[in-house]
Amino acid sequence: MASLAALTLADARFPGGGHVHSGGVEEAAARGLITGVPDLGSFLSGRLRTTGLVGAAFAAAAVVAAARPDAGWAVLDGELDARTPAAAQRDASRAQGRAALRAARLSWPSPVLDALCAVTPRPHHALLVGAVVGIDGGSPAEAARCLAYLAVSGPASAAVRLLGLDPLAVNAAIVALRPALDAVVAQAAQAAALSPDRLPAPGAPVLDLMAQAHVHHHREQVRLFVS
Amino acid sequence: MLARARIVVERRGARTVVRELRSQPPLTLLPQRGAVASRSPAATVHMLSSATTPLGGDDVGLEVVVGPGAHLVLTGVAATLALPGQGTSGPSRLVVRLTVGDGAAVQYLPEPTVVTRRADHRGELHAELGAGARLRCREVLVAGRTAEPSGRYLGLTRVVDTATGRPLLVQEQELGDPTLHASGAHLAGRRVLGTEVLVWGEDPPTGLAGEWWSLSPLAGRGSLATAVGTDAVTAGRGLAHAIAGHPGWAATTLTSAAP
Amino acid sequence: MSADHGHGHGHSLDPTVTEPDPHVPQAPSGRAVRIGIGGPVGSGKTALVAALARTLGSRLRLGVVTNDIYTTEDADFLRRAGVLTPDRIEAVQTGCCPHTAIRDDITANLDAVELLEERFGDLDLVLVESGGDNLTAVFSRGLIDRQIFVVDVAGGDKVPRKGGPGVTTADLLVINKVDLAPYVGADLEVMTSDAHRMRGELPVIAQSLVTDPAASDVTEWVLAQLAAVRVPAA
Ligand SMILES: Nc1nc2c(ncn2[C@@H]2O[C@H](COP(=O)(O)OP(=O)(O)O)[C@@H](O)[C@H]2O)c(=O)[nH]1
Ligand SMILES: [Mg+2]
Repeated sequence: MASLAALTLADARFPGGGHVHSGGVEEAAARGLITGVPDLGSFLSGRLRTTGLVGAAFAAAAVVAAARPDAGWAVLDGELDARTPAAAQRDASRAQGRAALRAARLSWPSPVLDALCAVTPRPHHALLVGAVVGIDGGSPAEAARCLAYLAVSGPASAAVRLLGLDPLAVNAAIVALRPALDAVVAQAAQAAALSPDRLPAPGAPVLDLMAQAHVHHHREQVRLFVS
Repeated sequence: MLARARIVVERRGARTVVRELRSQPPLTLLPQRGAVASRSPAATVHMLSSATTPLGGDDVGLEVVVGPGAHLVLTGVAATLALPGQGTSGPSRLVVRLTVGDGAAVQYLPEPTVVTRRADHRGELHAELGAGARLRCREVLVAGRTAEPSGRYLGLTRVVDTATGRPLLVQEQELGDPTLHASGAHLAGRRVLGTEVLVWGEDPPTGLAGEWWSLSPLAGRGSLATAVGTDAVTAGRGLAHAIAGHPGWAATTLTSAAP
Repeated sequence: MSADHGHGHGHSLDPTVTEPDPHVPQAPSGRAVRIGIGGPVGSGKTALVAALARTLGSRLRLGVVTNDIYTTEDADFLRRAGVLTPDRIEAVQTGCCPHTAIRDDITANLDAVELLEERFGDLDLVLVESGGDNLTAVFSRGLIDRQIFVVDVAGGDKVPRKGGPGVTTADLLVINKVDLAPYVGADLEVMTSDAHRMRGELPVIAQSLVTDPAASDVTEWVLAQLAAVRVPAA
């Protein structure tokens, strides 16, 4: 049984504030690192295997946590913070979490969400997604797939808007990531039941430094996306 | 080769003294002596490894214990070349454990690690910080010698504040997959990755960034500098820019002769 | 809005902010009344926000959210105009989709409004300026209580006839820059009669911010809304 929550959260039309984040694409495009669909595919693949895997693993772990009487949100929150060294990325993750929370509270009201918010009113996006998928009865793998897909679909859509890339070609580039996506989901789902300190933590050095540069540039020139 | 090296330093009066020092090949630890050393409040120990290590199959452990209030500087002498072993030797491994007491400080500054072709190297760095403990940890990774494809490297850095039990930084780095290196999200085609953790007093209120470097405050305490470059000199310069913007570190370098 | 309408917590330190006018109507409950200001690029939305801030800023506890496509430009304009202290203006980045941010996915704007409310406690009025967009871009009712759609005579006198949700359904249609009508050959009569025909009972105001920098008619309409709107509890 597929989780409707996972489907809803991964839908570009879900009103959770995702469209104002480019996931580093705006900065990468400004630097000329992304100029066309091939660069974008390579960027997305790197993003998926790093930030995407971290998010997917924490979303999967959140599904497991949501089913426990004491979810231990504070520990997951702290471990995810420690895996997100760029302050700008933590801000972006929490901004998206809080934005999605607004819609989630109306659609999937639950004491599980209340407990998560009691730990932080601005939950990380991955934890919010995992909590909601868990409330909906979805599996860790479904939450991981949702997060991993969002880690590439959001930035891809930003690239279409910023660079005027052919949306059909960009869609094909996302679909071409299928093997990497499946691998990330499998790895995340497998990690879901581990103690939080053992969850994966792959770094994305250029994404991290670009996230800080994005904020920096926003003060001097124009940036159309929050991140 | 299996090796376990160990250093224990403690504070005596205004100075830090080495209480225990165990080298084991291929890792040799050499305390700095002489007039300069005796004037400095910090103890400095050089890390020397024999030319052909780590080699596939090597398993090297370094345990460092810095007693309350002591200050230890560990520096590398030459770049490390990670080399493949023979046959089915398995990966080479270097595990460093830093236990930093209350109010103590450690600087762990090895020279760059060059991951040569067909090498398979694992690095782990675990740091446990007591109340008010300070840490400076540098890692420079080079994906292959010039014009050489990179071998495989997997590294883990985990820094924990034992006073609160809170993890400050957990980060893995991976080298050796050319498609990953090429990605604008990972190394953007650069060959060298430098990171430097600074848990050293005041952190910047917001991140700083140059073209290929950044300094960002961590969520708990501490900051992470990140730089990439086409060579180790460029990446090193990026790190230097980044940490120059760290208020806690800048205050130290102004008031004392930290290396 | 609370009953004690005084200099509450978080009130602006701006010395130009005077005691609130006791005759200003108060919204009945909870949170600030939110008025959206939409319309095509260059029609005069920011200029209208500035005019309203100038005329109402001393009487009402006011906040402004701006969505201009160039994000900080509008906020900078308002700051420079000296009509509002910078902390009363929140800029929203819309990821190249100004209409999405005010209609399909309003969360970034809701966050901005909440941020202002957290910063200042009770506010009476929050103006939300959209990024300039086409004639079909209207605000979601989930974001605002009332909306003003601003078109201008320089955009062509056919605009009201074209209709679109902005022109036909906005709570107020403003035909701006009437001072320019003679220069651009726009027939004001036609514009206003078209507008009334498209909108039925809904009001239309023709104005020029050059000849009336206080935007008197719109100000009056805004004050009437403050009295009339029943905002949901905060
Ligand atoms: N002549 C004239 N110019 C106006 C009037 N209102 C605004 N403008 C000018 O029109 C230009 C665009 O206005 P702005 O408020 O930035 O438009 P926005 O894109 O809708 O926010 C600015 O140069 C304003 O000064 C008006 O009533 N008459
Ligand atoms: Mg404007």
